[in-house]
Amino acid sequence: MPVDNRRIQGPEVSFPYCLFQQSDGRNKTNSNPSNLLTVRKDGRALLDHRKIYMKTGVVSQAKGSAYVELSNTKVICSVFDPREIPNRVEYSQHGELYCVLKYAPFSCKTRRAHQQDSEEKELSLNLKRALEPAVCRHEFPNFQVDIYVLVLENDGGCLAAAITCAGLALADAHVPMYDLVTAASLGVTGDTMVMDPIEEEERLCSQDVKEGQNHGLVTVALMGAHTQITQVWQTGSMTSTCVSDALSRLIQLCEETYPIAQRCLVKSVVNTISKKSTS
Amino acid sequence: MAGVLLSEAEKTFILHGVQSDLRNDGRSKQDYRPMELELDIVTHANGSARVRLANTDILVGVKTEIDVPKPEKPDEGKIEFFVDCSANATPEFEGKGGEDLATEISNFLSTSFNSGLSFDLKSLCILKEIQCWKLYVDILILECGGNLFDAVSLAVKAALHNTMVPRVETMAMDGGNVDLQLSGDPYDCWRLDIKNVPCLVTLTKIGEHLIVDPTAEEENCSMASLVLAVTEDGRINSLSKTSVGSFHPHTLTEGLKVGTEVGIRLNKALKEALEKEEKRLQADKPERSGFLK
Repeated sequence: MPVDNRRIQGPEVSFPYCLFQQSDGRNKTNSNPSNLLTVRKDGRALLDHRKIYMKTGVVSQAKGSAYVELSNTKVICSVFDPREIPNRVEYSQHGELYCVLKYAPFSCKTRRAHQQDSEEKELSLNLKRALEPAVCRHEFPNFQVDIYVLVLENDGGCLAAAITCAGLALADAHVPMYDLVTAASLGVTGDTMVMDPIEEEERLCSQDVKEGQNHGLVTVALMGAHTQITQVWQTGSMTSTCVSDALSRLIQLCEETYPIAQRCLVKSVVNTISKKSTS
Repeated sequence: MAGVLLSEAEKTFILHGVQSDLRNDGRSKQDYRPMELELDIVTHANGSARVRLANTDILVGVKTEIDVPKPEKPDEGKIEFFVDCSANATPEFEGKGGEDLATEISNFLSTSFNSGLSFDLKSLCILKEIQCWKLYVDILILECGGNLFDAVSLAVKAALHNTMVPRVETMAMDGGNVDLQLSGDPYDCWRLDIKNVPCLVTLTKIGEHLIVDPTAEEENCSMASLVLAVTEDGRINSLSKTSVGSFHPHTLTEGLKVGTEVGIRLNKALKEALEKEEKRLQADKPERSGFLK
């Protein structure tokens, strides 16, 4: 793999020190699923979601941009003008979305490299799949819209936050769309369902459980007005009833987030108009 | 997919066929095309398999090597998937053309193997924190006739079934270095446990109906498909939407139900085929000779 020499590289082989840390009392409570059942770290009930903050127009030089915050998960997205698809000979009838999701090097517990790793590539692809159905791609044939998502801080639900954020940014960039996309995530471990898990809970849900039990994570992206699921992504291992149960809960949460996203867009429109009328 | 051009009339014809549960090649909505399975066909690989699903041809080879375990998972081995969409299959894969598809397939495979319930990586550990086996699963797409995901997963499961991991006889720590002694007998190997390894089932939405095992033409007239990783006992290990399009929640829950049923059937059929092929290989195996045996 080519290495960018101009960047400051860490030592060739280095490990995050937290691997060698003795788990202290606080960590212990969460490594035991039965304790997670009673108290969540941020005091929520199991099926409560976190508070969400959205804002559009945060990057002045991008065509459209948005910022989404789910308490400690912070995601920023910018969308740029359509441009011709590079290195493409034949004409494509539909425009394309070019999505890049990147974790900031300091966004996770362990340091992330500057170059996209396979997890980020997978998330980028999921992001693209989630947005494609919502965009009127026939409106810009042979062109691509660049969507860059940067995760500033990761505390669980990254993909969900990224999808919601990119949906807002696309709308802010005046890209023609059928509907807004909102997304939500859910974790399962044993018989417990945890709505909108934080990073620690996500890790717990991807840990192994006894044979025959369910565990894993589900993320769903939804177009609220059309009730169309644009993307669903599940990992772990669970029964099909468990998956469909998780789906229905997630759809409900996506529908709850939808008006918040709408209000955020309305607010940005009102702001622009009032700014224009005063100037 | 690859290089199929259909007119509107042809698409409508396929759509109407699906609606009346009779597809172009005479199958119903939940039927697979005929498959062929061969095991142990690459001499230099530790395990190999070839699956031919009508026009789709997949060759998988598994190589085992020794590696250092990841520091965060000191007692687990490693498995890695590489998909090569060679330009042999279709000219569209030439250069970097097949790269996106290849990463999509390999990422989906690694996600569905991720859970400890599907594949036990702990059995690949040789010495905790120091040495483990690493499985390189290399997937070659020789011909591309639709439904790559399913065919690839079947071939991968078969190749893992066929994989022989050499038995470690002795281990000695010499200062910081490990001294491994592998068994001298090439037949003294152990097999991987593939009981819970999932098979992928692709459900393609044509009109309002979900069909399994789409041909390249059928893939061309669909907007959305759903891929499920289903294990032998009907658990879903991974689920994702591929291609553009979207689903109504009802279609999705129905897809889950249909996909699980089909997946259980597929796993069962594969198991039977593997046993049959194993017997055939056993019969053909050259007699071992040597004065100690």
